[in-house]
Amino acid sequence: MTEIKQVRLSGFGGQGVVLAGLLLGQAGVFDGKYISGSNSYGAQARGSGCKSEIVFSDGPVDFPHLTIADILIAMSRGAYDNYCTDVRTESGLILYDQGFVTPKDNLKVKHLGIPANEVSVKRLKNKQVSNIVFLGALIEATRIVSAGAIRKAISMHVSERFRSLNLKALQAGMELGREFNG
Amino acid sequence: MPFRWVKSPFPKGTYYFSGNEAAAEGAIAAGCRFYAGYPITPSSELMERIAVRLKEVGGVFIQMEDEIASISATIGASWAGAKAMTATSGPGFSLMQESIGYAAFTETPCVIVDVQRAGPCTGQATKVGSGDIMQAKWGSHGDYQVIALSPWSSQEMYDLTLRAFNLSEQYRVPAMVMADEAVGHLRETIRVAPRVEVWDRKKKKGGAPFDIEGEDGVPPMAAFGEGERLSVTGSTHDAYGFRKTDDPEVHARLVGRINQKILNHKRSIIETEDYLLEDAEVALIAYGFTARTSLYAVKRLRKEGQKIGMLRLKTLWPFSDERVAEVGKKVKRIMVPEMNLGQVAGEVKRCVVCDVISLSQTNGEVIGPELLIETLKKI
Amino acid sequence: MVRALEKYIRPGVKATPFCPGCGHGILMGLILRAIDDLKMDMKKMLFVSGIGCAAWIPSPHYNGDTLHTLHGRALAFATGAKLYNPDLCVMVVSGDGDLSSIGGNHLIHAARRNIDLKVICANNMIYGMTGGQVASTTPRGSKTSTTGEGNPFRPFDLCKLVEGAGATYVARFSVTQPVSLIDSIKKAILHVGFSFIEVLSPCPTQFGRRNRLDRPDEMMKDLIQRCILEQEAEGLTEEEKAEKIITGEFLS
Repeated sequence: MTEIKQVRLSGFGGQGVVLAGLLLGQAGVFDGKYISGSNSYGAQARGSGCKSEIVFSDGPVDFPHLTIADILIAMSRGAYDNYCTDVRTESGLILYDQGFVTPKDNLKVKHLGIPANEVSVKRLKNKQVSNIVFLGALIEATRIVSAGAIRKAISMHVSERFRSLNLKALQAGMELGREFNG
Repeated sequence: MPFRWVKSPFPKGTYYFSGNEAAAEGAIAAGCRFYAGYPITPSSELMERIAVRLKEVGGVFIQMEDEIASISATIGASWAGAKAMTATSGPGFSLMQESIGYAAFTETPCVIVDVQRAGPCTGQATKVGSGDIMQAKWGSHGDYQVIALSPWSSQEMYDLTLRAFNLSEQYRVPAMVMADEAVGHLRETIRVAPRVEVWDRKKKKGGAPFDIEGEDGVPPMAAFGEGERLSVTGSTHDAYGFRKTDDPEVHARLVGRINQKILNHKRSIIETEDYLLEDAEVALIAYGFTARTSLYAVKRLRKEGQKIGMLRLKTLWPFSDERVAEVGKKVKRIMVPEMNLGQVAGEVKRCVVCDVISLSQTNGEVIGPELLIETLKKI
Repeated sequence: MVRALEKYIRPGVKATPFCPGCGHGILMGLILRAIDDLKMDMKKMLFVSGIGCAAWIPSPHYNGDTLHTLHGRALAFATGAKLYNPDLCVMVVSGDGDLSSIGGNHLIHAARRNIDLKVICANNMIYGMTGGQVASTTPRGSKTSTTGEGNPFRPFDLCKLVEGAGATYVARFSVTQPVSLIDSIKKAILHVGFSFIEVLSPCPTQFGRRNRLDRPDEMMKDLIQRCILEQEAEGLTEEEKAEKIITGEFLS
């Protein structure tokens, strides 16, 4: 039986949702997975919502879009409100930005709140890297891709100017994720 | 040998390309060295990537003033000896039709990738559709043939663009890759083989470029500047390109040949794939992105005990009459899910006597598994 | 002056298809004289044309590569061929309606890019092949099959148009000025960049007979009288100039 994991990254335009999705999918390819990734932005999510969805599989993927999220990353309140009910109950996981989102307590889904925006603004001095902080927390908490693969993906797709900042953000995110794991 | 094996321009391995990027890579692998295009959503990433790649491999890229100019420059470059292509979406594809007819009538190899969006008209520029299937076949005036392929994955954007070039060169015909927005923007794991099979148009010094006795009906094609003093015209012409606009025999013979040279080779042009059809009572006939949904639905319903299978059309034109007819004889019902109002369903009905149900969705979204499974449970 | 131009004519072509009195046959010969003077290798020459009477000047008559394309699209086809094989000398010969009306967008963009194409626009100021309809070059007031009371609109000044768009060699001559015209075609061939020559060519069949110039010789005489050089126009009043057609090299 082919194992499939479906990840939805969501937020609003400008938060780097699409880049994070690209890096995650690319890392999956480096790890030898079959990946199907798709993005959407525009009117469908309220606000100027934006999402990137990645299907990870051990074998060829039949339907390449997400059917239900095993993991939801919600970088904004709107994203959380829109998608929190589309996460698989019991085994699912929601990672959210605790600075923006107040989680609902009636969902039977594991929640992990991280201060991604705060860390990126205060510690990393750049509000554009909370997407990478999220990726760090995600891989540490779920091992969905290896840290080596995501680093390789960053060096492939992020321009040299921002590479070390992004790697720092990844590290910071991994520390946040580790707290959750431990 | 009419074809040769060449080393892939990309090292063997796995990559993470969007469909549009993969199509650009497939073109480069096929030997494409000329691209003329005009920006249009949702195909533009193809042009952006091939602009970079052609520079790397010593080819020519130009952004033209519109889509008519793009396909026309593509045809001009093809006669200058290039493997040439353009890409577009619905509105641009409409503008290209007259020149596509020119390419068919002058037997000019060229490739057009149409990343279909939700039409008609400007429609929903960023949303998916597959409403250009009939236009691909019938969009230009008069009777002619084209080859049109339908990719369902990023991998096939690579594979089928490459194949489109090969078929186009082999048969001297415009070949189209009828992609859709969902496949064009889908980013997937792609495997690049170490070597690819590449076809080149055949050449024969002094050979008549517009007629041939026997053989495969495909005359040799020289390039401008090779000393052949070619005469190429979109008017009715004889074997050497002289206009014969009053001669009924020449016209009938030419129109007949440019159609027959494709139809006579249907067997080697058409590719279909069977999925769980052996004992199926219901068959889905699907293509493009919708075939992904269909395969998912078939596997789900099989688990629930339904005898259902799928025939996937990798080639849309020429149409798979024979295979569709065979499937029609074996099953009780056929359903054709597609993102238009039944363009392929109509073709299927023409080929079979069993029930054909058209499942259409034209709301700018892909047909999802739920809709398809629910509909299939009801029939 | 009789020259042996047969070698430039594709074996098998017979009489030209042009009407008696048409200027296109003269232009056809003048282009070949320029090519002969320069000893151009016809095997490396590509002649591209669109649709219309003028598009038949090179196709199939000239014994190089000829590409007879679609209405209006000659420049786009030519652009593709020239870019892919820069060794080709690519000459576009087509009519005013083809190049400046249906193909107007391609004309200004090819000029803007300054692509090395030698464009010869045979301007007969009317749609000849389709029955004498008004063109983008028909003078104001002229009668055509679609402007029975005279063309209400002003025509393009093609030379100004392409110069404004970025052409780097621009000239206008009439077929009644053969020596200057041959010279100009030679310059266009040698010029590297977008060259444009507007060639006035009479159409007695469609234009003349509707505009009191019924006989071919009347049209020729009219052109001879009206075509003056730029320097000859200097002393003239605006009114006098309006009657004339100013010819010469405008940009070289």
